[in-house]
Amino acid sequence: MTSDNPFTLLGIRHHGPGSARSVRHALEELQPDMILVEGPPDAEDLLPLAGQPGMRPPVALLIYLPDQPQRAVYYPFAEFSPEWQAIQYGLRHAVPVRFMDLPQAQRLALPEDSPPDTPDATWQDAQEDAADPPPPTPLLRQDPLSWVAHVTGYGDGERWWEHLIEQRQDNRDVFQAILELMTALRAEATPEPPEPHEALREAFMRKVMRQAQRQGCERIAVVCGAWHVPALLRMPSAKEDDALLKGLPKVKVTATWVPWTHGRLTYASGYGAGIEAPGFYQHLWDTPERVSVGWLSRVAQLLREHDLNASTASVIEAVRLADTLASLRGRALPDLSDLNEATQAVFCAGDSLPLRLIHEQLTVGECLGQIPEATPMLPLQQDLLRLQKRLRLPAEASQRVLELDLRKSNDLERSQMLHRLHLLSIPWGQGERTSGKGTFKENWRLQWKPELAVALIEANVWGNTLVDAATAFTQDRVRHSEQLTELTHLTEQVLLADLPATMGELMTRLQNVAAVTSDIPHLLEALPPLANILRYGNVRQTDTGLVAQVVNGLATRICIGLPAACSALDDEAAQSMFSRLLTFNNALTLLQDDQQLQQWRAVLQRLVRQQGLHGLLAGRGCRLLFEQNELDVAAVEEYMALAISMANEPHSAASWIEGFLHGSGLILLHHEGLWRILDHWVMNLREDAFLPLLPLIRRTFATFSAAERRQMGARLQQGPQQLLDSRNDVDDFEETRGNGVLPLVMQLLGLNEENPSGA
Amino acid sequence: MTTLLREHAEQQFAVEFDELAQADNRSRPPNWKLSPWAVATYLLGGVLPNGYQIIPKYIGDRRLMEVAIATLATDRALLLLGVPGTAKTWVSEHLAAAVSGDSTALVQGTAGTSEEAVRYGWNYARLLAEGPSLEALVPSPIMRSMEMGKIARLEELTRIPADVQDALITVLSEKTLPIPELNTEIQAQKGFNIIATANDRDRGVNEPSSALKRRFNTVVLPLPATLDEEVSIVQQRVESIGKTLELPAEPPALEEIRRLVTLFRELRNGLTLDGKTKIKSPSGTLSVAEAISVMNNGLALAAHFGDGRLHAQDLAAGLVGAVIKDPVQDRIVWQEYLETVVKERDGWKDLYRACREV
Repeated sequence: MTSDNPFTLLGIRHHGPGSARSVRHALEELQPDMILVEGPPDAEDLLPLAGQPGMRPPVALLIYLPDQPQRAVYYPFAEFSPEWQAIQYGLRHAVPVRFMDLPQAQRLALPEDSPPDTPDATWQDAQEDAADPPPPTPLLRQDPLSWVAHVTGYGDGERWWEHLIEQRQDNRDVFQAILELMTALRAEATPEPPEPHEALREAFMRKVMRQAQRQGCERIAVVCGAWHVPALLRMPSAKEDDALLKGLPKVKVTATWVPWTHGRLTYASGYGAGIEAPGFYQHLWDTPERVSVGWLSRVAQLLREHDLNASTASVIEAVRLADTLASLRGRALPDLSDLNEATQAVFCAGDSLPLRLIHEQLTVGECLGQIPEATPMLPLQQDLLRLQKRLRLPAEASQRVLELDLRKSNDLERSQMLHRLHLLSIPWGQGERTSGKGTFKENWRLQWKPELAVALIEANVWGNTLVDAATAFTQDRVRHSEQLTELTHLTEQVLLADLPATMGELMTRLQNVAAVTSDIPHLLEALPPLANILRYGNVRQTDTGLVAQVVNGLATRICIGLPAACSALDDEAAQSMFSRLLTFNNALTLLQDDQQLQQWRAVLQRLVRQQGLHGLLAGRGCRLLFEQNELDVAAVEEYMALAISMANEPHSAASWIEGFLHGSGLILLHHEGLWRILDHWVMNLREDAFLPLLPLIRRTFATFSAAERRQMGARLQQGPQQLLDSRNDVDDFEETRGNGVLPLVMQLLGLNEENPSGA
Repeated sequence: MTTLLREHAEQQFAVEFDELAQADNRSRPPNWKLSPWAVATYLLGGVLPNGYQIIPKYIGDRRLMEVAIATLATDRALLLLGVPGTAKTWVSEHLAAAVSGDSTALVQGTAGTSEEAVRYGWNYARLLAEGPSLEALVPSPIMRSMEMGKIARLEELTRIPADVQDALITVLSEKTLPIPELNTEIQAQKGFNIIATANDRDRGVNEPSSALKRRFNTVVLPLPATLDEEVSIVQQRVESIGKTLELPAEPPALEEIRRLVTLFRELRNGLTLDGKTKIKSPSGTLSVAEAISVMNNGLALAAHFGDGRLHAQDLAAGLVGAVIKDPVQDRIVWQEYLETVVKERDGWKDLYRACREV
């Protein structure tokens, strides 16, 4: 560098606390009169907000297309981000701060650049990464310092950086070293797939640098990703860069700040590389000295909070083990994996479960940022506003009741909007019970409260439109849900909110949870709603194949587990199992899948023979088999006679009858044998047994229709004798009186006996 | 050629130790025969600078072995934990051999292990003849190791009665062994440490007191991480056992072993290998050792009652017995697995049918 060169290049690692600290030292030493930061110039106007008291990182700069909010880019900042520290320094010392990257207005207009930056893609990728614990070696360009650290044996770029700093006295020396390292790397390594528009971005950076120089600034600090440093050092002619940048397309973009979370910092977005351990980095930033001791003490405290043993002596041992591990692995400082392994061996007795707790609470250390009130409106807020306007449903602080007719498209959309908000835990409307029948009516009680606006801002991290946010949020809930009932409940909500994109994930999760559930009642409850979806396909674009697979698996599991789940039930449990069996049976009948029905009938056959099965269930099993032509009348008579024979407890016999007859007694009227068995049983009940059973039997008969009951009553009035004879031919009638009726009958039938020859 | 049935690690791998000692120029903790780095190389295998090839003794996670070695280098004792058949004893023997050059200071933990086996006993003839003296004392392996600064091994820690276990606390925390009868004590030399092993599933048998547990760093040895690793272990063992039993059956095809190991791994992990379907896990361990015994069982059946070749039905009987340990719960798990996974898998039809018949 020549002495009249005004630029000081600070090559950094995005989100690196070590870099952040070095940048701060370097800035304090340099006293710059201009700071250039790698970042989107579209958001430059928002920079002063970063200094306001309401601003608390982690936050992110969000740049999006106003008419297409799902196309957006996030630039997250944590307190320990070097960029954030540079911005804060500038705001504190009233030094102008500029963003110097190629504006997103132009990058979003470039065709190839969009895929990696659309939130959908980053979201998905990030989720997959998060599920897969061992971090992949970062791409050379995205995080070259981490890459170098890996090569030198460090698991983590930060510890390597510390090591580097400790050995060098002067901080600016470090940046010189990085410059040399990167120059060598860029010269030697031909990196993986070339990043789109890298040349354009670097050209633009140089252009901004030249502008700053022209303005007469003398000490310009340039904070940028280490990878770019060599490209910014050698300045080609301004013309060359201008030619490169000329005629780039442009789109209109809007920028704003959004609150961010530590969990989300672990995803790659905006600056490329996500970081694995934001909580650990925060710790590195807060406590620069004695990292292991501080960290392991925090681990011990966390474990103690959760009633796990963690003594001070163990902390000492863990520190020693971590240090020994690091030296065994040929490093001067223990990195996060050394610390974790020491924690596992010393604190957790080899158990890996507490480590998960530590990962969640400390290593990632969930925390939500805040943004000041003056921040421009977020895209999700705008999207909701647009929807409210379009659907003519303004937010009002007073309560109002809304009745929706789902057959009208406007009302349907309103309902979907309210359901989506509900899914996001923004209860603007409360669903109310509708009067009258029909599924097309929905009642809502609407009231907008100020805290809902806050919830809306927080929900923005999930997506920039209501649909996106609700989808992403639901997907996250699906991923973390362990309860089958919760998942089926979600399925219903998702149907109402019409979020087809979540269905695939929901079904997969449902299948997985169902596989490990041994709670048959839960499985029984989960199936009917799914069967409805499958049968009526009332979800648009739902992959019914997926649903069919889930339903199939559920049915098989239920059939295998049902006999065990039905044994030893008390009255109450049997009653609830009874209604579940009914709905399950209806669902299967609805689906008309032969294999499932066959399986189901086989289980029913087993059930009716099962010893000690509650009468209610055995009776219903018999009835179902009879209705499906699996048992003939003779077999049913046999079962019934067995179930209510005198050796059985009258109470269990009564439950059998209730199970068998529940809903309709027509079967009794049609089948003489059954009627007789039942009649015989009632007649032979002793009085002390009859009285307590009466309400039970009455309850059963009350479910029959009035006509059925009338017929039964009539039959009983004839008495047992007549009953027996009712099918016999009757021969003792008076012939003369009979003959008297015949002419009228003839007339009615249109036969004229008196004039057989006709008129 | 040796006539010994089984050699100690330090005898069997004497040449490797010599080579390692020559190549090893890193600093050694006091009384260690090798540096921690060389111990790691001995266990995990590698090539020395002079080109000498060290055979890997432990196939698996390198980081676990590093934690174990680093533990011995601090003065905390090491507890190796794991389900049966995860090479705990094997690792402990090789660690002791590599660190102290001697793996014979061994106390086998049983329900009948007494305090004499952990501390010291008396030669009663001498005691009666000469009165109490150091000469009348019979030192335990642990006491000898303390005097010589070596590694002592304690097998099956959790089977030892709790009161005997607690005799170790003084040894591990004060590094001394008091002998009140002689009003003296033995102070451990540098280099002394204890490697204990314990069975994961037996934790409840004689759970160590928290005072004792606190003196150990615990390393859990996992079951083989990948299918291929497990298949090769099973194959190797089945073939060697088949030879000693002189079974007239053909050694099983790799495909058959692969299928069995797949089944064991899926049930053990509660997840199909493609990671797509979750399943329930039975109550048993389904360790590698059990896979080996199912295989041997099938081979014996094939040899003595079949046509000498292993078929699905030869495996099925042993397989069902290995999976179903609890007659109610495990049967449901097994049936679900059969119906939802085995039934639909290509090329598994014979196994499905054979298992349904059992």
